[in-house]
Amino acid sequence: MLLLLTRPRYDTPTHYLFYWAGLFIDEAKKNGVKIIDLDKGKAKKKKLHSYLAKQPIDTVILNGHGNQKAVAGEDNEIILSTGDGTELLKNKTIFVRACDAGAILGKEIMQQGAKGFIGYVQPFIFPSDKDSFNKPLEDELAAPVLECSNQVGTSLIKGKSVSEAHKDSLDKYTKAIDKYSSSEATNSFLLPILLWNMTSQVCYQP
Amino acid sequence: MEEKNEVQTISDSADIINLVIARLKTIPPNVELSVGNKGSFSIDELIEMVRKQDDIGKKMIEMQMAYLRSLGKLPTQELQNAPAAN
Repeated sequence: MLLLLTRPRYDTPTHYLFYWAGLFIDEAKKNGVKIIDLDKGKAKKKKLHSYLAKQPIDTVILNGHGNQKAVAGEDNEIILSTGDGTELLKNKTIFVRACDAGAILGKEIMQQGAKGFIGYVQPFIFPSDKDSFNKPLEDELAAPVLECSNQVGTSLIKGKSVSEAHKDSLDKYTKAIDKYSSSEATNSFLLPILLWNMTSQVCYQP
Repeated sequence: MEEKNEVQTISDSADIINLVIARLKTIPPNVELSVGNKGSFSIDELIEMVRKQDDIGKKMIEMQMAYLRSLGKLPTQELQNAPAAN
């Protein structure tokens, strides 16, 4: 399997996603998956389209800001949008961790012949601890949400189908919601956020 | 009659905003929320956005109300799944 990953990093949300998506690199190495890591300044439209056109990529994981019709790379440059690049995703599996992109972009990606798509139809929301900015992977407030979301990529890297990866992620959200619903749990303010992202996550298959 | 309905709607809306603000105030002050492509915000900033009902404020209201509605569903589901009494 060949995986392409984008990890822009230029503001607080992308700073966190940069590190959490970095865990996919370790997971890929463990599973013998080759990886093209378009991090920071490499997360640009020209590079992404060039790799997608020339390399036998199976799975694409895009992290960054987005809207219903587009996903951004470094410095908010649109790197994939309706009518611009979706045809390059034919026969590939795609996970877009960006706001709203499941609403319109994901559907067009599927119409262009993708194997499967997972994304969000609402803004992706996550909490963070101001004091943990320099250690995003150790942020105990961000972790519950980002672990559930990361499960999609982890399962895809392990060779699971989009429907299996989606289910694995939803199962993880359910467990997290159960955990923070218990009477002894602190940080129960995480519950609306977990439920929000869980119910915003969509999976499309042909 | 129309006037009465309008007053009722405004009152409901104000109650919802106050409820959401009260819930946001329970979040510790060291927490920030990253909200889509809009950036990261402190709880005080989010409360202000809920008051103004801007785009992010509306999403906060939607998120909190979706959660509260889900709580309302729980007892019904539990009742449905409960074994029949002997």
